[in-house]
Amino acid sequence: MRVLVVEDEPDLLASLLQALREDGYAVDGAPDGEDGLFKAEAFDYDAIVLDYMLPKMDGVELLTRLRRTRRTPVLMLTARDGVKDRVLALDTGADDYLVKPFDLEELFARLRALIRRSAQQSQTRIEIKDVVVDIAARTVARGGEQVALTAREYALVEYLAMHSGKLITRSTLYEHLFDENESTLSNLLDVHVSNIRRKLGYDFITTRRGHGYFIDSGTGEAPV
Amino acid sequence: MIVQSLRFRLQLWHGALLVIVLSGFGATAYRTASIDQTRRINDELEFRLENLFRPPPEELRGLQPPPGMQMGMPPPPHDVRMWLGRMLRSRVEQLAAESGSQYYYVAYDENGVATVKTPNTPAALPKRGRPAGAPPRRVFAGPGPPGPLTPREYGIYRDVLRELPHGEAVAVGRSIETDRAELRRLAVSFLAAGAALLVFGLAGGWLLASRAIRPISAISETASKIAAGDLSQRIAVRETASELGQMAQVLNSTFQRLQSAFDRQSRFTSDASHELRTPISVLLSQIQLTLSRDRTTKEYRDALLACQRAAQRMRRLTESLLALARLDAGEEPIHRERFDLTALVRDCIELSRPLAWENEIEFVCELPPVECVGDEDRLAQVVLNLAANAINFNARGGRVRVAAKRRENAAELTVSDTGPGISYEDLPHIFERFYRADRSRSKSQGSSGLGLSICHSIVEAHGGTIAVTSVVGEGTTFIVTLPDTPPAR
Repeated sequence: MRVLVVEDEPDLLASLLQALREDGYAVDGAPDGEDGLFKAEAFDYDAIVLDYMLPKMDGVELLTRLRRTRRTPVLMLTARDGVKDRVLALDTGADDYLVKPFDLEELFARLRALIRRSAQQSQTRIEIKDVVVDIAARTVARGGEQVALTAREYALVEYLAMHSGKLITRSTLYEHLFDENESTLSNLLDVHVSNIRRKLGYDFITTRRGHGYFIDSGTGEAPV
Repeated sequence: MIVQSLRFRLQLWHGALLVIVLSGFGATAYRTASIDQTRRINDELEFRLENLFRPPPEELRGLQPPPGMQMGMPPPPHDVRMWLGRMLRSRVEQLAAESGSQYYYVAYDENGVATVKTPNTPAALPKRGRPAGAPPRRVFAGPGPPGPLTPREYGIYRDVLRELPHGEAVAVGRSIETDRAELRRLAVSFLAAGAALLVFGLAGGWLLASRAIRPISAISETASKIAAGDLSQRIAVRETASELGQMAQVLNSTFQRLQSAFDRQSRFTSDASHELRTPISVLLSQIQLTLSRDRTTKEYRDALLACQRAAQRMRRLTESLLALARLDAGEEPIHRERFDLTALVRDCIELSRPLAWENEIEFVCELPPVECVGDEDRLAQVVLNLAANAINFNARGGRVRVAAKRRENAAELTVSDTGPGISYEDLPHIFERFYRADRSRSKSQGSSGLGLSICHSIVEAHGGTIAVTSVVGEGTTFIVTLPDTPPAR
């Protein structure tokens, strides 16, 4: 999953970027509203963490403009906890609201919930044949036993599992698994896919040559 | 308690006063009427009595004076008695016939026996006794007044008795029943009128008191709403000239000041807590992140440095807030002493040089010796703050001009920069607490947004003024004026 953090307090931005990266997200950062809007419109993020008060363009304005073109889930951060401020943020289009100072754990949990909701996955445990993907714990188990996956492998499995039944193109996968600073090599994706197949079974991920990958959700429907 | 009610007590006093006044008036009027009536009756009877001794000239002709007696000369004693007796008798009869039966006439001899009386004389006629030890009358000197007149009243009759020199006496009287009835009627009408006036007065008084007191009820109602917590209430003032109107106005302005003070305070605390949340958020995230897994020494060090930055920011913030709070409360008085403003400014510029050098800012100074009266330490804060702002909000390679001047009874300091200036919308707000016009720059410097507020408070505490002008794209100028003696508040 790829996430954008828009926050003007430099130390806080750095902490959040590092924390999210260590939690397995591909993360981009922006120190002001203008830069934030630009990036949010340029890439299809799975979620955006947006500070309320930003230089050049405040969070609410960014959100208003973003919502004209994108439905990316947005979690707003703010130091203001007045009712009016919350209502304004939610009515403008934020999906959730977190008051500073907050615990990182809570931020992660809410982000996960947002992403789950937008992928229309209501459960935190996704079962595909004999493989169980626990999104909250960020673990994968096969036949009851945990399987060790690298961060990138897990991210790929998680993304495909959350969108199980849907065909995901390679470019989409790149967009959602790598941040702007990482160079994307086409081979990388194939390497990850084959490693996953080795660990979780060959038919765990299905390839549509020339189109992309998907995980069969087991409903018997053809992938969209 | 109804007895405690102001209205009731007013009514009580008002009623008591009315009763006293009305009864006093009524009693006096009645008494006057009564006395007048008595006097009238006495005069009337007296007149009759006189008539008795002054028969009209034609009558006199019919009467033969006693031999040897001429009018005006004292007659001899027993002749007078006889003459008198005869005269009286005929006169009395005559008068009785004349005036109808209204008056009665009585003549007493020297033994107090009524010898002559008209037929309508009341049966209960009092005896006329000679009071014991009374001196003999003086000699009757002819027809005329001398001789005491004794009014007598008995039952419904009143008469007037005149004593004659040799012991006889004559009395004229009549029934005063109708007169008495008249007085009684007067008394009754006084009572009735008095009662009506009392009722009317009480009712009117009640209405007036109610009208006067109603505004007080309105005021106390509003005041209790305010006491309950709604500071936005105000008393409706209709007429401002009356005492109540003025009191309402004073109360309203007090409530206004209270409300503003509360608003300021709550805004301040909410702004302050909001400002503190950001560095606390940095601390928390940084610490939680660092602790989430094993880190290298360098990572720990970097994390701690970030925490320190946040902590220092909080320290600056709380110090500024405390300073502002103390200035607001007037807790720390300004020590006024004479000093050279220029020397102070030069010191501050020296302190600011490293910052200026970092930003490639040049100082341009016009600093002749300028005497100033005020608190050196506090004013140093102001100068340093203005200088720091001028450096930070400046173009790279720009200039900061600092000038001190002596004005009439005041010292003036000017600090101007060649920075981007302050926009028209931001200008009125820059002295407000936590107001930041350019957010990105100030955030990274960790400024609190309180610097100018503190300057403003300090300058105001000196009784001075701080003014700002700015042209976007050219620069900003601050002018601080410090009077030698603060203007009277």
